[in-house]
Amino acid sequence: MAKSNKPDASRRTFLTGIAGAGALASLPMAQALAQTEPPDTVSNDMVKGEKAKSMQWHSERPLTGSVPAHEHDFDTTPNDRMFVRNNLTTPLIDLKAHRLKISGLVDKELEFSVYDLAKNFKTVSMRGMIECAGSGRAAFQPRASGTPWLDTGGMGCPLWGGVRLVDLLKAAGLKPGAAHVAGQGGDPGLVPSAAPVIRSIPMAKAMNESTLVAWAMNNEPLPWVHGYPLRLVVPGWVGSASTKWLHTLTVLDAPFKGTYMTSSYVMPRVPVAPGEKMPPLTVSTEAWPVKSIITSPAPNARTKGPVLVRGRAWVGEGAVDRVEISSDEGKTWQRADLAPADRLHPYAWRRFEYDYKPQGPGYVSFLARAWDDKGNAQPAVSQWNPLGYFWNGWHRVGVVVEA
Amino acid sequence: MFGGLLAAFACSAFPQQEEKLISGPGSTLTETKCKICHELQHIRRAPLSRGEWADNLKNMKERGTPMTDAEMSVILDYLSTYYNREKPAPDPSPDTLAGASDDPIQKLLGTHACAACHQVDKRVVGPSFREVAARYAGDAGAAQRLAAKIRAGGQGVWGNVPMPPNASLSEADAKTLAGWVLQQN
Repeated sequence: MAKSNKPDASRRTFLTGIAGAGALASLPMAQALAQTEPPDTVSNDMVKGEKAKSMQWHSERPLTGSVPAHEHDFDTTPNDRMFVRNNLTTPLIDLKAHRLKISGLVDKELEFSVYDLAKNFKTVSMRGMIECAGSGRAAFQPRASGTPWLDTGGMGCPLWGGVRLVDLLKAAGLKPGAAHVAGQGGDPGLVPSAAPVIRSIPMAKAMNESTLVAWAMNNEPLPWVHGYPLRLVVPGWVGSASTKWLHTLTVLDAPFKGTYMTSSYVMPRVPVAPGEKMPPLTVSTEAWPVKSIITSPAPNARTKGPVLVRGRAWVGEGAVDRVEISSDEGKTWQRADLAPADRLHPYAWRRFEYDYKPQGPGYVSFLARAWDDKGNAQPAVSQWNPLGYFWNGWHRVGVVVEA
Repeated sequence: MFGGLLAAFACSAFPQQEEKLISGPGSTLTETKCKICHELQHIRRAPLSRGEWADNLKNMKERGTPMTDAEMSVILDYLSTYYNREKPAPDPSPDTLAGASDDPIQKLLGTHACAACHQVDKRVVGPSFREVAARYAGDAGAAQRLAAKIRAGGQGVWGNVPMPPNASLSEADAKTLAGWVLQQN
């Protein structure tokens, strides 16, 4: 692993700078030399060097990885446990040169450095979920097209720091008809013809107070692979909405038309039989349905006494209402203790706990099922769709109770 | 800015992975086009229906894969034969679509799927053969270096896209190809 300390130090200096002290330090370019990826990108080895040992890499090109559910036993996801999902390569961007442009249906086009943003707008911290649309894809039968994410892991709930997108949009002034905001990232493809990664979100979500233009993750500068130096954070929605390496925001009168909007991140408007191709009528994936995972104990753990079953539950929009645990394959369900909703962080996942008292020795499987405030429950098995999005089936963890 | 240095690193650092698909008509072209951007395991681990493969190819074309309609149809036929969720793959067979020509140079270019990235007078993914010839015109040692580079792969001289190694190409054939390329000026 080509773990290098210098760039870390540099990014730490950057954070200090944002806080008002210290001068800008640019990334030492020499650190980028020992790489096999294209120039001006960060090698996979350098990305992996910043990640937990428990991270499972599902694909090298493009880089994709996540930790299993029992490595997710945190209310705030640490940087080294946050999932990785690139569409293209990880760019190496010079903080000082980086600019965010706001254009399209605005009264005046604006351009900001990261410092301009921190200096001119109210900075906020927000704990919120980002989950890849394909998180859990491996659970679909038959196997759907795309990276086979495990049924747990392609999500996380870090503390994001930055400014509200709505404040930037107000500063630019919205023209009549402004309906969508498209984010474009600076990740280069491996061929010159590679389509840029551009996704748009409806204005209501763009104006939501929890939607951020962020430069910090858990009080550190964004790690390279998570969008350094600037990204969108559209909490609760499919991860692709949260454009990494953000350099342009374009205000549009309709959803952006491009391959990452029309051919990817879409689901059939009307469900199709498993194994069928995408029908002509599709809908864009937006907010995640209600979901939960058991984060402790680990699968096949051995225990002698009572078992504390703990996990996290979340929903893309709205609130989790309750979480239930079954220890008899779904015949009966018992209510778990659910941590109260955090008014300041409505898109954060919530901890649940359930005390299980074994009747005797043997193997017992726990199932978790969360409900949202609209009466939706997690299904046993999610509706199959050709691109394998929105897996939110019951999570199962079995343990051995010893005599 | 450090392109030259990178090129020096590239030969030793490029992963020498021999990723393969099931051999069959169209397998060479499919491997070469898909490997430009992603690993072949993305194909191997998820067999799809013909309709899904067609959608997938359309998606990849939109995302920027340099491939013609004719190439897409070869790749679609190949994938829906050998990686079809609805029927088992036939036994491996020679890729009769690669190197079908009688001309020895065309045969080499086809067998090793050079044309997926290079054409004589047009930039596709890598430089055209004419550009390569022009760059090394009058360079006496060029043929030998080029032959080595065709086998080892490289990166940085012509841009960001790495050229994968061609380990299955013999030294003699690499020399033949290098000599031919340098004549395209």
